[in-house]
Amino acid sequence: MRTRALIGGATFCVLFLSWYAATDLFQLIDRHRFPSPTDVLVAALQIINRGYAGGTLITQCLYSLRLVVLGFFFAVLTGVPLGIAMGLSRRFEAFINPAFLLIRPIPPLAWIPLAIVWLGLGDSAKILVIWFAAFVPAVINAYSGIRNIDPTLIAAARVHGASSQVVVRDVLIPGALPMIFTGLRLSLQASWTTLVAAELVGALFGIGRVLIIAYRDIYPAMIAVGMISVAVLGALTTKVLSIVEERVIRWRHT
Amino acid sequence: MLRSARQNRASNGAGVNLHEWREASRERRMSDIEFAGISKTFPRGRSEFTALDNVSLKIPDKEFVAIVGPSGCGKTTLLRMVAGLETPSSGVVRVGGRPVHGPGADRAVVFQQFALFPWKTVRENIAFGLKCKGMSRAEREKLALRYVEIMGLTGTEDNYPHQLSGGMQQRVAIARSYAIEPEVLLMDEPFGSLDAQTRILMQEELIRISRVNPRTVLFITHAVEEALYLADRVVVLARNPGRIVEIMDTRPTREAEGWDRLASEETMEMPGFGHLRAQIWRLLRREMQAPSREKEKT
Amino acid sequence: MAAHLSSRQARHELALLSLAGTVVFFGLWQGVAVSGLVSNYVLPSPVEVITAGLAMLVEPFAGNTLQGHVLASLGRWAAGFALAAALGIPLGLGMGHWRVLDAIVSPVFEAYRYIAPLAWVPFAALWFGTGIGGPIMVIFTGAFAPCLVNAYRGARQVERHLTEAARTLGAGGARVLLEVLLPGALPSVISGLRVAAGLGWQSLIGAELIVVSSGIGYVLVQGQSNLAPEIVMAAMLAVGLTGLLIDVALRATESRIKRRWGQPA
Repeated sequence: MRTRALIGGATFCVLFLSWYAATDLFQLIDRHRFPSPTDVLVAALQIINRGYAGGTLITQCLYSLRLVVLGFFFAVLTGVPLGIAMGLSRRFEAFINPAFLLIRPIPPLAWIPLAIVWLGLGDSAKILVIWFAAFVPAVINAYSGIRNIDPTLIAAARVHGASSQVVVRDVLIPGALPMIFTGLRLSLQASWTTLVAAELVGALFGIGRVLIIAYRDIYPAMIAVGMISVAVLGALTTKVLSIVEERVIRWRHT
Repeated sequence: MLRSARQNRASNGAGVNLHEWREASRERRMSDIEFAGISKTFPRGRSEFTALDNVSLKIPDKEFVAIVGPSGCGKTTLLRMVAGLETPSSGVVRVGGRPVHGPGADRAVVFQQFALFPWKTVRENIAFGLKCKGMSRAEREKLALRYVEIMGLTGTEDNYPHQLSGGMQQRVAIARSYAIEPEVLLMDEPFGSLDAQTRILMQEELIRISRVNPRTVLFITHAVEEALYLADRVVVLARNPGRIVEIMDTRPTREAEGWDRLASEETMEMPGFGHLRAQIWRLLRREMQAPSREKEKT
Repeated sequence: MAAHLSSRQARHELALLSLAGTVVFFGLWQGVAVSGLVSNYVLPSPVEVITAGLAMLVEPFAGNTLQGHVLASLGRWAAGFALAAALGIPLGLGMGHWRVLDAIVSPVFEAYRYIAPLAWVPFAALWFGTGIGGPIMVIFTGAFAPCLVNAYRGARQVERHLTEAARTLGAGGARVLLEVLLPGALPSVISGLRVAAGLGWQSLIGAELIVVSSGIGYVLVQGQSNLAPEIVMAAMLAVGLTGLLIDVALRATESRIKRRWGQPA
């Protein structure tokens, strides 16, 4: 295990040094197109202290984070119950399915222009698109989670005299939780992807706007800072979700 | 040695010139197996676990040796060392006088789980090793079909493994190993996944082939009767740590009682067979009930 | 509850419910659009959307007919997808088999994975301008990860004794990769290709929203700036339909391969 970490660390060092050498030291790459480590550092300091494209790094990040969180939560609160309901009742599934099948293949990003037509360039358009992007995986995975429960478990519950309500509450929903959380992870990923896209298309604020302004200013170092911020935010939120998952599903061994 | 009824049956039934095949096998090099002071330890937390402790064994060319022992005694590890799939912590494994450095076509392995490539037909599986050798397509086809006949697989050439029974699959695996004419044949509990009846048939099959085309064989099993029936010598291994407790030569009893003239169930009824079997069982029982020898070492 | 409805009657009932659902959905939509509750600039009726879509098949909009735009997009998508597969699959297979390669590449890959594919658009635009390289790069970043991950997982679950058997029969490294790992991992690889195709298609649309002047994504943007939601929605349906067809085709290939090797489809 430790050799693996060592090799990984060594790879990063080699890559970093090559990056540094190619850009700062030997000027092999045009710094108008590809930033050097020092450029990135300077840009990072700039946005942290003085701000860029309308705000400091923290403000921009928080702004984007807020949108993601709102869209994600709306999606979870609407999608998971819908998925569970579709999983529980074949009749309900049959009724909803046509509408769902029509909407499902449309990539969330394709909703952005429509959202802008409906709601303009403000926050609500973005939350709408994020909601949609996170909604679909949440529904599908909640549905699968319910449907894939080992029928033997249900039979065992019934044989012990459990009513339908009890079966749903104590067997189906806990049993579906692992799959629901998988869906949530996908939803979160989709949320970030969609946010970045939405902000790139048209925004007044946020990390995406930082990226687009940096592009227009031909400021690759700032683009890099923006991308790193997106990655870090994505990793952090995913980690938070993992922690929640571990708390909720204590019975699962990974 | 008299030609047994079984050997007569073999050359009549196979429709292939077994005489030719036998002659070809005589042209190969001497390939004996030698284990010289083999030890294998695994780290376990902070201490070590000794799987094999200073095992030494010589298997002369063309001898059929079976290793029996309880699970965890290291018998599979020994085989994998000859195959080049594992390395000893100390000691050397030599085949034909040359130390083993990795897997190669001179030491073919037949696995318990058959290890047939599911995406290749029977024909393609058998021809695989020949392909690695760089044989032309026409020659490969010819040779592969020959082994299909020898192993009684005619009619299944274009089937995929999942369409065959366990016994048939293992025949393909054996054919695949024999096709490359290895110097040494290593068999790791090859009949372990088969049902009892198929197992007996495969044992008889293996005897038939190895009498006609003998080569050095190392055969791992935990079934004592199988070992006695098939092998020239049986090595009994104990565990904790893995070491040889006894080596029994079946050939005196085999010749005296004429096992080669009998069917397998008759052989197993013979008193000499029963005697050897009881001996081995006594050894195994003693080892399984004894406390671990590890603590006796300083 | 999810009781066992097995009789033909039950299946009829479900089919009727689906039909009802479809009718209700389109009916509501048509109703709300026509009633004037919402301005027609916001929600066109289903009829208007279909009409707009059909019109675009004949009359060019924003430089090309609808099918012309779709084909332009498909071309870019195919190029990016092929590149991602050509690089991701061998690398994933290699990483699955040789632990050293895995140790070297994995950390870098994990870091790269966290960056949303579309975050690469500014760099793509900076490096390639409005040329075809930009969208291809974005599609590549979207499609690469599933190709690699699924090839990796596929190679890992190729049973060890298959690669061992190959080696004991005299196979060298290249042969093990081509004749054992690749076929062994193929179901997983195809599965990954399916996911990658979808993600690649999505990334393409995203890229086309921002940096190009042709393609279906461009139609979406033009529809939006012209405040013509019926065009936007028609284009959305075209996007969805194309993506669906790609997925169906790949799913069929996946089933065929699984059946050939005796695995459940």
